[in-house]
Order: sequence, then C-alpha cells, then structure tokens
Amino acid sequence: MLSLAIAGLRARGSRTVLSALGILAASLVVGTGVTVGYGLATGFERSAERAGLPDVIARFTPERRATVDERVRALPNLAAASYRYEVLDEPLTANGHHNHRGAVNTVGAGRRGYEIVEGRDVAGDRAGEAVVERGLAKEWDLHPGDAIGLGRRIGELRIVGIASSPDNVAFPLATTARVYISEATIRERLGFTPDDANVALLWLCDPSKADVTLTQARAVSFGLGRLEFVTREGVRVLLSQAAGIVISLLVAFSLVALVAAGTMLAAGAHADVQRRLSAFGVQRALGFTPARIAALQAAEAALVAAPAALAGLAIGTLAVAGPSAGLLAALNEQPPGRDLLAPLALALIAVVAIVVAAATWPAWRAARRPPAEILRGGDVTPRTGREARGGLLGLGARFSTAARGRFVASVATIAVCAGVVVLMLALASLLERLREDPGTVGKRYQLTVSAPEWMLGAIRDVAGVDAAGQRYATEAADSFRLGEPLRLVAYPGDHTEFEAPPLAEGRRVRGPGEAEVGLGLADALGLRPGSTLAAQLRSGAEVRFRVTGIVRALEHDGRIAWVRPERLLGGDPGLQPGIVVRVEPGADRGQVSRALTEIGAPPRTASAATTRNGDFLAVLAAVLRGVGLAVGLVCLYALIQALTMTARERRGAVALLRACGGDARAVATVLAGAAAAVAAPAALAGIALEWAVFGPLVARLAAGFASLPLAPAPGHVAIVLGGLLVLTAGATAVVARRVLREPVVAGLREE
Amino acid sequence: MAVVRARGLVKTFGEGRAARRVLDGAELDVAAGEVVAVLGRSGSGKSTLLHVLGGLDRVGAGSIEIAGVDVTRASERELSALRRRHVGFVFQFFHLLPELSGEANVLLAGRMRGAAPEAPARGGELIDRLGLRDVAASLPHQLSGGEQQRFAIARALVNDPSVLLADEPTGNLDAEAGAEVLRLLRAGADEGRAVVLVTHEAGATAMADRVLRLADGRLEPC
Repeated sequence: MLSLAIAGLRARGSRTVLSALGILAASLVVGTGVTVGYGLATGFERSAERAGLPDVIARFTPERRATVDERVRALPNLAAASYRYEVLDEPLTANGHHNHRGAVNTVGAGRRGYEIVEGRDVAGDRAGEAVVERGLAKEWDLHPGDAIGLGRRIGELRIVGIASSPDNVAFPLATTARVYISEATIRERLGFTPDDANVALLWLCDPSKADVTLTQARAVSFGLGRLEFVTREGVRVLLSQAAGIVISLLVAFSLVALVAAGTMLAAGAHADVQRRLSAFGVQRALGFTPARIAALQAAEAALVAAPAALAGLAIGTLAVAGPSAGLLAALNEQPPGRDLLAPLALALIAVVAIVVAAATWPAWRAARRPPAEILRGGDVTPRTGREARGGLLGLGARFSTAARGRFVASVATIAVCAGVVVLMLALASLLERLREDPGTVGKRYQLTVSAPEWMLGAIRDVAGVDAAGQRYATEAADSFRLGEPLRLVAYPGDHTEFEAPPLAEGRRVRGPGEAEVGLGLADALGLRPGSTLAAQLRSGAEVRFRVTGIVRALEHDGRIAWVRPERLLGGDPGLQPGIVVRVEPGADRGQVSRALTEIGAPPRTASAATTRNGDFLAVLAAVLRGVGLAVGLVCLYALIQALTMTARERRGAVALLRACGGDARAVATVLAGAAAAVAAPAALAGIALEWAVFGPLVARLAAGFASLPLAPAPGHVAIVLGGLLVLTAGATAVVARRVLREPVVAGLREE
Repeated sequence: MAVVRARGLVKTFGEGRAARRVLDGAELDVAAGEVVAVLGRSGSGKSTLLHVLGGLDRVGAGSIEIAGVDVTRASERELSALRRRHVGFVFQFFHLLPELSGEANVLLAGRMRGAAPEAPARGGELIDRLGLRDVAASLPHQLSGGEQQRFAIARALVNDPSVLLADEPTGNLDAEAGAEVLRLLRAGADEGRAVVLVTHEAGATAMADRVLRLADGRLEPC
C-alpha cells in the first residue's frame, strides 16, 4: 500500500507539493503558537520552582532583623524564612550606562528566592561582589567579571553572577533594576554589620493555606509600618492575566490556521476525489474495498502531512524561539527547553490527524458508492445555470462559483482569516492607544501637574484649560481577603468630570462613604452594589466604603475604586494630591503645556497604561501586527489553492480562451475574476465576523472587566480590503504564470 | 499566394526509446480560398499538424508561415495575436464554454484585447447567417450537436481570420449536421480564407480542393 501511495503522490507531483506547502504553512503557525503559548503558560511555575520563589514576600519599614524573625517564627505553616535589606533609588553605573532607580538588596543567610542563570551567587564572607538581575545584565551588556558602581558610599563592585526572579518583571520593563550584594560588602564598605531588614521572604509548608498565614501575619505585625504582602499566587495570577490574552490569541491563530488548512485540504481532497472517481470505480470493479481505497488515500495524506507538518512545526518553533525567550526573559521567566517537545509532538499528531481525516473522508464517502455509479460519475462537468455576465472577469467569477462546495469553503476560510487580521489590527491599535491615549481607559484629562493646591486657580485660568482639579491616588490592599492589591482614586467632587469609566451596574458615587469599583475588583472580591469595600492603606489604617456602582475600568486590571478623598485623608493624612488638567477640545496641548510651565506648573502628559507597561504594549502591538501579516499569508495560500484548483478544473476552458487568441492579460483577467469572486465576499464576511463575533469575544476574554473598543475602524477595513486586493493580484499572478507555462494543447486535450 | 506555408515540420512526442516522431518533414501550402483536407489514421498526427500550424504547439524543426507571420519564431504574445487576428479553430468536441450562451461564446474571441473592432457586429451577422438567432441565448447544454458546432464555426470566424483550421469538425455529428458544417467551411473558403480540414472520414473530403494523406509524418497527395 505504501508503494502505491508513493506512486500516487509522484504522479500528482505539483499538487502534492502545493498540499505540502499548505500543511507546512499551517504547521508553522501552530508551531509558533505552541512555542510561545506553552512558554508563557508554564513560564511562571517553571521559573518560580527553579528560583525557589518564596510563597509570600513581605515588605515593611526597616526593623531589627531579630525582632522581625521573632514574629515570623511564630507564624503557622512556615517552612523557612530569610531577610533582606532593600534600598531603592540607588544610583547604578556600569558599562557607560547610568540609572537612578537601582534596588540594592543586601542578602543574608538562608534561601535566596532567585535563580543564578550565569556565574555564581555572592558569597557571604566575601566583600566587593554583586549579582545583577538578568534584565539589567542584558540591557547594559554586563557579564560576570564586569564592574558595577553603586553610588559613592558603596562604590564599585565586581559582578560575579546574573540572577533571575519571577516575582516581578525584568528591567527595563520594571523601572527598578535589582542588584544583590552580601553583608560582607556592607561591612567592608560602610563599616557596620547590617542587622536591619525591610523584606521578609517566607516559604510555607502548605502554600494553599497562605491566607491563614497572612491573617496571622497581620495580627502579629504590630510595630511594622507600611506592611505589604506579595504572594506567589498573586504574582502568578497577575502574570497569567497578562499572558492570558497572548495565549488566547495564539491558540485562536493556531486553530484558525488549522481550520483554514483543513478546509482547504478537504476541498482539495474533494476535488481530487472527483477527478479520480473513474479510477476509484475501476478499483472497486477490480475488487478493492472502500476501506482499502480510503486507507490508500490516508497513507498518501500521511506521507505528505508528516514531513510537511514536522518541517512547519520546526520552522515555527525555531523562528519564535528567540523572541519567545526574549519575552519570557522580560517577564523574568525561563524558556521551556526540552519540555516543549511533548506539546510539539502532540501538535504534530494533531496536524497529521486533521490532514489525514480531511483527505480521507471524501474518498471514503465516494468509494462507498456502488462501482457502477462511481464509473458513471467519473467525469467532472462544471455546473451550468444562468449565463455568466461581466466579460472575462464575470466568466472567471463563474468558474469559481461553479464548484459550490469549494467556493463556500474558500470564502469561509478567507473570511475567518480576514476577520482575524482585522482583529489583530484593532488590538494593535488599541494597545497603542492604551499606551498613548488616556481616553482609552476612561480618563478625560490629558495633563497632570505636580503643584500645590493654591495654584489650582491659576492653572484653571490658563488659556486652553477646560478644567483642572485635584486627584488623589494610592495603592491599598483589601483588608477582608488580605493582600488583594487595589488602587483607590479620589476626587473632591464629581470624578466623572475627569474620569468616567462606563457604569456597568448601580450608580455613581455621591458622598464620602461611597465607592465605585472596577469590575476586576468586584469579581475578585465578590463586590456588588451595597457591599462593603474595606481597604488597608499604606499607612496601615483601614478605610471602608459602601459600593454604589460597578464600572468597566481597564486601568490596573479593573482592580480600582473611585471614592471621595475625606476618608482616605483620615486614614493617611500625608496623602498628597496631584492636579489633573482637561484641555479644551481643539486646543493645542503643546501650547497649554508651555503656558503651564510658564506659570511654574510644568505638566506631564497623562498616559493611559502605566509607563512601566508602555514598552511592553508597544512590543505586543508589533507582535500582533506580525501575526496579522502571517494570517494574511494564510489568506494568500487559501486564495492560491482555490484559484489553482479552479484553473486546473477549467484548464480546458482556459486553453480554449488562449486558442481563441487570449493572451496573458486575458487569462489573468479571467483568473482575477475567479479570485475576486472568492475574495470580495470573504472580505465583507470577515469584517462582519470581526464586528459581530471576534471583537466582542476577544474583548470579553481579554478584559471582561472593561469595555475594549475592538470594533473594526475604517482604517482597518481599508487595510484589509487593500490587502486582499493585493493578495488577489498576487494569487492571480502566481496562478496565471503557472497556467501560461502549460501548452495550450494540453488543456484542449483534457477538455 | 500561399496563406499557409509549412516546410520540413518535425514534431516528436516522448523521449529516448519511447520517442515517437509524428511529423517528420511534413510540408504544406494552402492558398487563400482553398480547402485542403488532410486524411490519416487515428494517431497519425493530423491534430498535431493543426496545432502547430495554429501556434498552439511548437515544432521541433521546420518553419511555418501564416499570413506572412513566422509562427516558429514568434513569442507567446505574438502567437496570441496571430490566433486572434489570423487563425480560427473548429474542434471536434466544439469546446463551447458551458457558462456562456451560444452568442456569448461566439463573441468571446471578439472580447479579447486587440480583437477586430467590428467583431461584435460580425458575430451578430454570423449568428443570423448560420440560422442561430433563435437559439443564440441558449446555453450549450441546451443545444444540439449541430447547433453547437455552428456556434463554434461562428466563433472561429468572428475575427475574420485568413486561416480556418478544422479538427474533425464532423466527427461528433450526424450525417445531416455534418454536411451543413462542411458547407459552412466551404463557404468560409469561398470568402477568401485558407481552410485546412483534418478528418479520417473520406466522405468529408468531397468539398475539398485538395486531399492530402498524413502517413509516417509526411503529407502526400491522395
């Protein structure tokens, strides 16, 4: 059977190559999706295990280590603990680079909570050594043996290792760059033995009972100021949310690619079966069973699919291995390495199975018919009905629509691809707007000013300023669930004048004891209008609000609440407001900025996403556009496949056209008509699909707590229509070239 | 003066030991207004001769001139132009496009870029002259074999070619329809065209001015 299958494939050489290329293209997308998706999905756990990440990281105002240790040892469920002294905003200098946001950690005995990825760890008894985080090492091109300067007091240290810890994203995605030094260095350079700590790393016997430990920790935290907890589970959830959208999209692309390839292969196999019906009839007449004919088809499909899928997966994996590792490194995570082989093997099996099923099913159905019936239906005849109109273009369109099954399959495939491309463009634009346009996250102010309250009047008087007001913002933790981080934003008056996230439920805040909470926070804490929001401020004080409304807020993953400032100031009297400025519609923002600077209130442009995430969003936007381009290539493949099959089936008609004097342009016009007949409805269906299905679905998947504007913009529609026009022209050129290489008489003989 | 002039035509199919030379030094001259019938057994190379004369296929050696155009040295673009302006084909199986009505099939050749500007008007005239007006809007599968072949002849004549190449034009028709087709071909020659008719039916040669036999790759008078 194998030799028969190989002979069959050889006989249909060009068709076999085309199918193999299609499978390769689809597998390439799948390989890309599996590599990036698996890496992101498992990256945190893998890296946390390798780094020995603590289950809880507690930060507090500096305290004697012995005092802290005494309280920590009293905690239930504790397996181990170690302490650090972290100094923020330290100047760092190395390799000609300079940064004022260094986080210098003096590490003592015990577990470290980070993984050494290059070199070695700092030794407790050796001074003058430093370990730098991988992000900093990569950004500044630092290696073990290089020197790094830590301000005037500590001076220059020798880098002995590079470390990675997934409790935060890496520098420069994180604004601070982490450096670890030993106590011996402090002793040598600063002349004292450090015995204070402001960071405690806690490893628990049963991490699932972290909440019990945290409750107890808060109870015994008397004397520890500004106590904040970060749990390993909390970090995992935060990173999973960020990675979730990328993984969802990659899974979606992989499915689209597989469905597209499967549909086209099924259509191709159907056409192939039609072409070979008489051969099937003869085989049945000679005593072949339908199962044997189907098995032969399956063997042929497997012979093509296995190497093509393997090559596609390998190319896809290799192509994104570097960028994926870079993305994981930015998240302080490790690439999966050999662990990736298992999901890739599963993907290979899935691709081959889909291809074999798509190719075998039509043969099985055809071969089950009585041999006489198969022989009678052996000739492929185009359907006829109404006369084709519209000249050569119309004739080509008629050629396409004659094989209705394939026409529908092709339109559906390209429509899905076009829909995905529009979605990618919409997402990329959204990410860019998130980065640059504060209006995207419901902010109605464009500038912020750090100025005393008495300047508010002068700021309001500046030409072009529509409104200006005070805005308080502070980080807090939910004090019922303990540790759930949230942001509290307060305006003295109606906050909707400056921030108006869409109200999903309930009503707006009207008084000091009320809060509007983001859907993300409401979901996390189970809040509804009428519930109580209890938040622990950085000062340690607790403030409570009655929830009056739930809003769709994108900022801070929806874990945000808008309140009036009275209770915040009661709990934290030192809280300082900023001033937000709304610019008049049509006013020149640059001119307003200059005028504000002139009166001594230099403004900053309000950002939508936090600046920390800005670069990451830019990378994501670029990735999404790249994926859109890749899906566009699937469109091109689908078009070429559909057009090639049409041209093959109607090669007699094309030959006749040429016999009547039709030149290359006439043939191309007919083929363009055939391609346009598929591309035009597919483009419209794709845009409708994105508008009605993909956009709302992805918006819900990505951020159910916010309203993401993912409807197709006119620009995106124009790009997709233009792109499909270019693809149609490209597919037409490719197939026309192939058709014109064939002698006219070959086509006439077939007709 | 010969409108069709072929010298030393050689055409080989296959390679090596499987190679078969179907034209082996064939020579042919056809003057305007002349009908030349070419007889031969199945597989003798009659259709191949028409294909190479009409620029649908290339010869291995020899030269062909159609209406003063050197076919053997012409590019694909020049061959397309030649077929559009100087050559009309009539096939045994009509080769009408099933998506187009009889009339649209006739006008198809006139729709090409570079076709004669008067082609549409001429197509209409041909449809009337060949008695096809009543069925002009019908699709091919709604037509009889004779009607289909008459539409095919009208299509071949729509650009007013100087050469008409007919490959077994009566092979798929009954006697009455076949006779009508032969009469139309004769009429085409009488209008000043060179007509080459390939057939294996001796009866179809009655209207020809000359009858040649293709045997062993060469053309010989019968």
